[in-house]
Amino acid sequence: MSNYIPTIGIEVHVELKTRSKIFSNSKNGYGMGANTLTNVIDLGYPGTLPTVNEEVINIAIKAATVLHCKIRKMMNFDRKNYFYPDNSKNYQITQNRTPIGYDGYIEIDIDGKKKKIEIEEMHIEEDTCKSAHRKDVTLLDFNRAGVPLIEIVTKPCISSGEEAKLYLEKLRETLLYADISDCKIEEGSMRCDANVSIRKEEKDPFGTKAEIKNIGSISNVKLSIEKEIIRQQKLYDNHETFKPQTRRFDSKLNDTVLMRVKETGNDYRYFPEPDIPYLYLTDEQIFQARKTIPMTPDERRELYDKRNMSEVNREKIIAHRELSDFLNKLVETNLDFQIASNLLLGDISSYLNKKNKTLKETKLTQEKFTDLVEKVIDRTLTSKNIKDLLTDILEKDQSISELIKEKNISNITDDSILKEIIHKVLENNEESIKDYLSGHDRALKYLMGQVMKETKGSADPLLASNLLKEELESKK
Amino acid sequence: MQEKLSISEVKHVAELAKIRISDNEQEKYQIELKKIFNELEKIEEVKDYDEEIIITPTEEKCQLRKDEIGQMVNPKDMLKNVPRHSGNYIEVPVVINE
Amino acid sequence: MNKYLDKTIIELNQLLKEKKITPLDLVLEAFARIEKEHELNAFITLNKEEALKEAKKLETMEVDNLLFGLPIAIKDNILTKNLRTTCASHMLDNFIPIYDATVVEKIKEKHMIIIGKTNMDEFAMGSSSRTSYFGAPRNPWNKQKIAGGSSGGSATTVAARLLPLALGSDTGGSIRQPASYCGIVGMKPTYGRISRYGLVAFASSLDQIGPMTRNVYENALFLNSLVGKDEKDLTSSKKEREDFTRKIGQEIKGMKFAIPNYFMSDIVTEEIRDRIKEVIQLLEKKGATVDYIDIAYLENAVTLYQIIAMGEASSNLARFDGIRYGHSKENPKDIDDLYYGSREEGFGEEVKRRIMVGSYILSGDNAKKYYDKALSIRSDIRTSFLKAFEKYDLIIGPTTTTTAYDLTDPMDDPLKTFLDDVLVIPVNMAGLPGLNVPVAFSKDHMPIGLHIIGKPFDEATIYQLASFIEKELNLDLNPKGSDENE
Repeated sequence: MSNYIPTIGIEVHVELKTRSKIFSNSKNGYGMGANTLTNVIDLGYPGTLPTVNEEVINIAIKAATVLHCKIRKMMNFDRKNYFYPDNSKNYQITQNRTPIGYDGYIEIDIDGKKKKIEIEEMHIEEDTCKSAHRKDVTLLDFNRAGVPLIEIVTKPCISSGEEAKLYLEKLRETLLYADISDCKIEEGSMRCDANVSIRKEEKDPFGTKAEIKNIGSISNVKLSIEKEIIRQQKLYDNHETFKPQTRRFDSKLNDTVLMRVKETGNDYRYFPEPDIPYLYLTDEQIFQARKTIPMTPDERRELYDKRNMSEVNREKIIAHRELSDFLNKLVETNLDFQIASNLLLGDISSYLNKKNKTLKETKLTQEKFTDLVEKVIDRTLTSKNIKDLLTDILEKDQSISELIKEKNISNITDDSILKEIIHKVLENNEESIKDYLSGHDRALKYLMGQVMKETKGSADPLLASNLLKEELESKK
Repeated sequence: MQEKLSISEVKHVAELAKIRISDNEQEKYQIELKKIFNELEKIEEVKDYDEEIIITPTEEKCQLRKDEIGQMVNPKDMLKNVPRHSGNYIEVPVVINE
Repeated sequence: MNKYLDKTIIELNQLLKEKKITPLDLVLEAFARIEKEHELNAFITLNKEEALKEAKKLETMEVDNLLFGLPIAIKDNILTKNLRTTCASHMLDNFIPIYDATVVEKIKEKHMIIIGKTNMDEFAMGSSSRTSYFGAPRNPWNKQKIAGGSSGGSATTVAARLLPLALGSDTGGSIRQPASYCGIVGMKPTYGRISRYGLVAFASSLDQIGPMTRNVYENALFLNSLVGKDEKDLTSSKKEREDFTRKIGQEIKGMKFAIPNYFMSDIVTEEIRDRIKEVIQLLEKKGATVDYIDIAYLENAVTLYQIIAMGEASSNLARFDGIRYGHSKENPKDIDDLYYGSREEGFGEEVKRRIMVGSYILSGDNAKKYYDKALSIRSDIRTSFLKAFEKYDLIIGPTTTTTAYDLTDPMDDPLKTFLDDVLVIPVNMAGLPGLNVPVAFSKDHMPIGLHIIGKPFDEATIYQLASFIEKELNLDLNPKGSDENE
């Protein structure tokens, strides 16, 4: 096969988490009885008119900001006219000529290099209703009609499935962190379409475009792009051409399949929506909306690096928004972020997972957590202690000190007491001493276990291990 | 001879409008639509004009609505005007391939 | 038959207050009049049962405003909850709205009684009400003639003295033109004055609801009750409420009026121009000045109107697809059959033609060539009007180019209907208030109207002039002659 240069553009729709819909005040909700969350506006009744939800504009300002877009201060809405049963007015209110955000980017790391994926524009629009297809009929539920959407359109600047995947992961993380959307692909609150074409050389015009619609997961975006590139290459290699078309990814076939050929370009007959006057954004409104943006993932990365958190922990913490937010509240203290993140990602996370709880639902306060970290550092608490105490720490109101007292935890930190116990253990395990002396490290672990057993786990592990080694070395 | 649109032009416009026109209406639309299209061409005559547009002649700016939930329609009321439904769902002939 | 409905609103209010009559008397009389004049075909749907119920309910209530208990007609493109609203179309001939238009809420708050829904051109598209699915209403001055359109049924209702008040809607003259043909007072207020919520949209940026009445004072009074900011209509104006009758009775000495030359050109019949000139002489005699001026692009207004109105209409009427309400094709074989069939069967010819033209206007590159350019020139027209208003209080001219023509006149020219409205369309393009007041009769005794155009939100000054002229001329505007009714 010859080499081709792929050109990929990605369009993403995300649903916004508002209370009410974009152009009407009915509820923006999910999973309710069919057509229970609608009003005459969503149903496209004659005589109805749209109003504009303030929160949608605020969220769009935030989205534009975290996507590094310029924000338009005077805009209007447009009607996109097309007949389809999921579209109650047979036009969709969107922003065609004056998208609220434009000229932005998202930065990804690819092969150790940074690359800016350029965002052409992002605009506000309304969602369509949900259709369920039966044998002879399609059933329409207008609950979703009018749910606010933001559509984010990249320039055709993505050159591989891997880049597309990294872009989408980064986009999703960014939107989640800015509270734009819950970005659940499986529930349809994030939807991805990819435009794929290939050409021989940079100087050639773009090749014929295939649009892959509504891909079900980020990994399938990567896969479907890669499969589509191969399909197009084969066609060109065989000197075949194809028409612009819409395809979908079939995860069973593990390939893209044709949905329809675009005979002529879609004629959406856009024109400015006359029911909505010009919308002007003030600096104050933009400022107020931006103020509510939490720290972005990249800002967090920078912070955690500064606080000497390992890269592994850093990424895990960022992947778990609540832990990251929890930790960030302690940024003013001189807390050890590495140890703190170990605790959060280790025992605390497993507890939360097991109990299916969020941190908020426990009794762990920032103060208590700081205390806990300190007690680990000064070795007041061993990892075994923490395992024992964790349920109480997370579920009871008492302070760490009170819990230590109540549970009667006192670790042996006195050299002479420990030495006595070590002597006793060594006396009873002469074989192991021999093993150690002949170079078997296993023996040390075993002996250490015996020491811990003898002290019922109350020995300071570091201290005990040092003393044990000292004793063994002396026998050489 | 009267000026008229071609049959395919009429069909294209009817398709955009999602309106079926019968064969015996075609001739009439070929003539009538052409007559109106010619009239629209008169806008070409206007030369000096300001690019600024009016979308709607209101003097209001777009006022934003507070994000609060209002009253919704009882599906029973909605269904009163719905030609075909199945339970609370509105029904249409099956739409394939989307 | 009682003759209460020939009395003025003020007189009726007095009688109601003094309990000499009840709202029920008025409602019964209204239905009797409609029945007697049923061949006028003014109504599509009557609301008899509900109206009688409402009238009885009002008997025990305090008469709290000037419009209390008065019977009213509503154009059938304004939604009335639980009362069939058809837009004079087969598409909606079984449509029962589940909400009230904002103006209807206001009417109910004032305890006016809705008698019925008036006939009109289908979806307000037409200038003679002959595109109605229910047949055309007739002109009370000559039943062989059109009432005008699209608010023809409302104009007929008021002109024939069936009811004192009716609501119309005006996209390109649809209140003022039939008001002129029928010899009544019809006001299209400033765009944004009255909420459009619940008015079935024809062309959103042009549509405006307005009052149609027997005289100027009652028109202003009625308008008082209809205006106000509506949170449901973003284009509705925040302007404070005001009393539109406040300038009525004031002299016009020193006022400055302008007539665009185009309005008095040979597109208007000589007879009408002569009658308008007599009005001008009267105004000058009373101390006003009248200048002839030019307004830019007036001669292009019809073309611009066609582009904007049909473009918007093609989108506004896309929702009639046989899925959620309205006419739906029986046993459609697929989704396209449902769309094409429902719209083929449901819409009449004029509507189909306009939707097709509108779709064409917005398609592909045409959007830029036609629509965008029309929006630009529209802005210039408005600017040109506003400039004239820096010098003049009001702009005047004839409302129509002819008087009402025969119902049997041919309808085969698709452009004729726009030309009927050539003088009234520019006002919608600029979003200004405009009113028709009857000023004369033609030789064959059909009404001739004066068109008065004001600055944005200056309806009060329009009423001042209209009322002055009305009083000076003191025409007998009852088609049957007032004497017969006294």
